[in-house]
Amino acid sequence: MGTSTLQVIDVTRRFGSGATEVTAVRGVSLNIDPGEVVLIMGPSGSGKTTLLMMLGALLKPTEGTIRLNGQVISDLDEGQLPVVRLRQFGFVFQDFNLLSALTALENVALVAGLAGRKNGQARQKAQELLVQLGLGERLGFLPEKLSGGEKQRVAIARALVNDPAILFADEPTANLDSKIGHEIMRLLRAIAKEQGRSVVIVSHDQRIKDIADRVLWLEDGEFKEMTTMVTDPVCGMSVEKEKAAAQLEWNGSLYYFCSRGCRSEFLEQQQAEANAGAGHPKPVSEPDPAG
Amino acid sequence: MTRLALRNLFQSRARLAISVGGVALALMLILALDAVLGWIERRVTAYIDASQADIWVSQEGVRNMHMASSSFSSSLATGVARVAGVESVTPILYLTNVVEAGAERTVAYVIGLPDGARAGMPWIIRSGRANPGRDGAVIDQGIAEASGIGLGDTVEILGEEFEVVGLSGGTGSLTNSIAFISGRDFADLLANPRVASYLLVRLGPGASAREVARRIEAQVRGVTAQTREEFAAQERRVVRDMSTDLMAIMNLVGFLIGLAVMSLTVYTATLGRRSEYGVLKALGARNRDLYLTVGVQALVSVALGLVVGLTFTLALAQIMPLLSSNMGLELRLQALGKAGAAALLFAGAAALLPIRQIRELDPALVFRRK
Repeated sequence: MGTSTLQVIDVTRRFGSGATEVTAVRGVSLNIDPGEVVLIMGPSGSGKTTLLMMLGALLKPTEGTIRLNGQVISDLDEGQLPVVRLRQFGFVFQDFNLLSALTALENVALVAGLAGRKNGQARQKAQELLVQLGLGERLGFLPEKLSGGEKQRVAIARALVNDPAILFADEPTANLDSKIGHEIMRLLRAIAKEQGRSVVIVSHDQRIKDIADRVLWLEDGEFKEMTTMVTDPVCGMSVEKEKAAAQLEWNGSLYYFCSRGCRSEFLEQQQAEANAGAGHPKPVSEPDPAG
Repeated sequence: MTRLALRNLFQSRARLAISVGGVALALMLILALDAVLGWIERRVTAYIDASQADIWVSQEGVRNMHMASSSFSSSLATGVARVAGVESVTPILYLTNVVEAGAERTVAYVIGLPDGARAGMPWIIRSGRANPGRDGAVIDQGIAEASGIGLGDTVEILGEEFEVVGLSGGTGSLTNSIAFISGRDFADLLANPRVASYLLVRLGPGASAREVARRIEAQVRGVTAQTREEFAAQERRVVRDMSTDLMAIMNLVGFLIGLAVMSLTVYTATLGRRSEYGVLKALGARNRDLYLTVGVQALVSVALGLVVGLTFTLALAQIMPLLSSNMGLELRLQALGKAGAAALLFAGAAALLPIRQIRELDPALVFRRK
């Protein structure tokens, strides 16, 4: 069984049936340890969100097993799952998803109240967390009066209020500028390291890789090796080195592209910048489009 | 969750106003209609209630005045007067007819009073005198005002002209009024001086109305004797029976309006916060927590609607008599109970659809991009 907080064993999720059947996640296995920050990346439609929903007990796998602290949660019925989500998991969403009618304090206290804390205790706990996250001056503010970074910190406080074992963050920096996004990621890492909670992040954001203990690449519903992944300098997409649609050597560096269009765009940009004639592009080893 | 329900409710002020307004309107319709009927019922029996008669004696089998005809020999009064416990007997004549005052024609209960009547006289006199006397008439002040006539003017009753000698109060209603003439004039018009419609019996000290009524029926043949309360209750029952269908239809209309408004507003309020309910589900809220939120919103909306509806109805009850002495509202406790029950039904029914919505809501929708 090991000491992993979450064990994912050969999990598959299919949608539809017959001719319309789609396999979103295929035979994925994964162990997440206490205090570990795991980043799951992959192109759109790769199955990241489906996997996250299964890990967060929001969706049942078609096959396979998910264990939380040794207990199988993938077999629990719908009536038992809310308690697991409420007490063991914390969620941080791309759109923050705060309740618009409630203040920052009430948003956090509500979730503590759902877990059975008395009103006074819930508010006390919520206040402590918000103060810790630097929102002591914003307790009575409605979400509409908060900045994006503040909203995300309220969402993190809400995710933490019931002392969960795992935090799931779905594109937590997508609606934040880079500075605030980086702060949020450092905060999530600090939570993992200082409080021993596991953090699972699904994101397209390459910058998050810096704070992750482990980066997993999901494509076509399966994990792939991350060591061969490189970033297209134009569109920012991760591409496998060996399968890159185009490459280009420029000023002594080798660049990989997801498409010929990106390569052309890159080339045009560089040539425009090098109008003085300093650079000499030298295309190399363009793969056969058919291959 | 109660806090969330209240915050959600009061955050959308326009929606709340529509919801509360709709419920208030519906409940006001129910309350006001009942109050109008309550007032009519009271006015219908106003003459009976104020007659000072302890017992009403009528032709055998006749138990009320409205849409009824009672006629017997006035000599029966002598027999009734002999019954133990009876102090006085006042025979009156009664017909439903038209009073023509100026250009106005109004339906009226025409009462013929004997000289020296001990009961059945007009009980409030605004001006003039209470006893009509020969060729005189006492009519309702509201009718006189509406017709533009006053004391000394002429009105036509039962086809004959009478001089207005008194203006009475409390004798008009939306549908009719009471006019008093002398019993002798009335008998002349009937061409039968020895007839009476009702005998108004007053009792001596300590006599039981119910007991004396029983004795009258036992000792005087061809009459029905009822206490004043029984006679008034029969009168009210007739009015109520006549208005039952109307009441049922109007109550149904009020109920449907309230239900439609409440259902729509609670449904749209839930629909508008669908994603938030999804978030709560994803975070671990159970369905029953969310049902509570919807239920509280619906209940508070109808409670506010009930308060507003009641307030407006009470205000209307104050304003109506100022507009006309022949209009009024009488709020009854049973109507409040009915409106309260309707309000609870609104809340329950209005919450059903949103509860179903919530039950079927997939918490995973929080991961779907907006």
